[in-house]
Amino acid sequence: MYAGTRDERLCPAQTFVIGAVVHPDQETITFFVPESRSERILSDLKSNGRVALAVSLLTHEAYQLKGSYISSRPTDTKDRTVQEIYRSKLLSAMLQASYPEQIARPLVLGMAYQPAVAMTFRVEEIFLQTPGPEAGRKIS
Amino acid sequence: MGILPDEIKPAMQGVIPSHVATCSLDGTPNVTTVSQVYYVDPDHVALSYQFFNKTIKNIRENPRALAWVINPETFESWDLALEYEHSETSGPVFDVMDMQIEAIASMTGMKGIFKLRASDIYRVISATKNVGERLPLSEIDIASGTT
Repeated sequence: MYAGTRDERLCPAQTFVIGAVVHPDQETITFFVPESRSERILSDLKSNGRVALAVSLLTHEAYQLKGSYISSRPTDTKDRTVQEIYRSKLLSAMLQASYPEQIARPLVLGMAYQPAVAMTFRVEEIFLQTPGPEAGRKIS
Repeated sequence: MGILPDEIKPAMQGVIPSHVATCSLDGTPNVTTVSQVYYVDPDHVALSYQFFNKTIKNIRENPRALAWVINPETFESWDLALEYEHSETSGPVFDVMDMQIEAIASMTGMKGIFKLRASDIYRVISATKNVGERLPLSEIDIASGTT
């Protein structure tokens, strides 16, 4: 999972995301950004609020969610559990997809995912991002 | 001496996919996975143009991009601030990219879907080695899956 933002000069920024939660309203999502990459992202979100979240499976099926920033806070114990589940599932999926172990394990387990910042946004549009001629098609 | 250090080259071999963020003129960001950021020379990289997707549309409107690349041996990563310069549909850069995309497509089950239309050449504005986003390899218990 990856999040993208931009500053006032329309210079983009991006970060990897370690875990996310879809809230019961089905319209808002909280995603978790390691503190090491959060400064620029938060600065952009607080100044203009525009955010893109890319989610994908190792089958290449992928979606891009666009929306507006709502709030942020330090992650708590519950968030950390979500992050740990995400890491575990990501590693399993990579190994199942035949990623070499000597790359997949250090790549996933070596992410400094704590401390982190929980960032919440409202999803306004969803686009298909699976590679192919349909990539970019708005689906919601 | 250019902006890209020699030590960044392994991060541009397509072993681990890279990520590229762009922004439309109306201020909407976009972030996507790319199979490879190609090293062209110490001041330039290339990205593949395969479909007229959001990244390509954004870049034609607003030439700025940010790419994240990671070395598959040391797991050090870099943020590359880029500016689109031009596209090439033939020549040595295009030929090498075309061959590598064929190989990646074949390995990832995407043969017939991945097809190079152009090599988009970007000037590298800055290359920043990321600090603090990785745990030292010595701290990772690879066998048990814990940190």
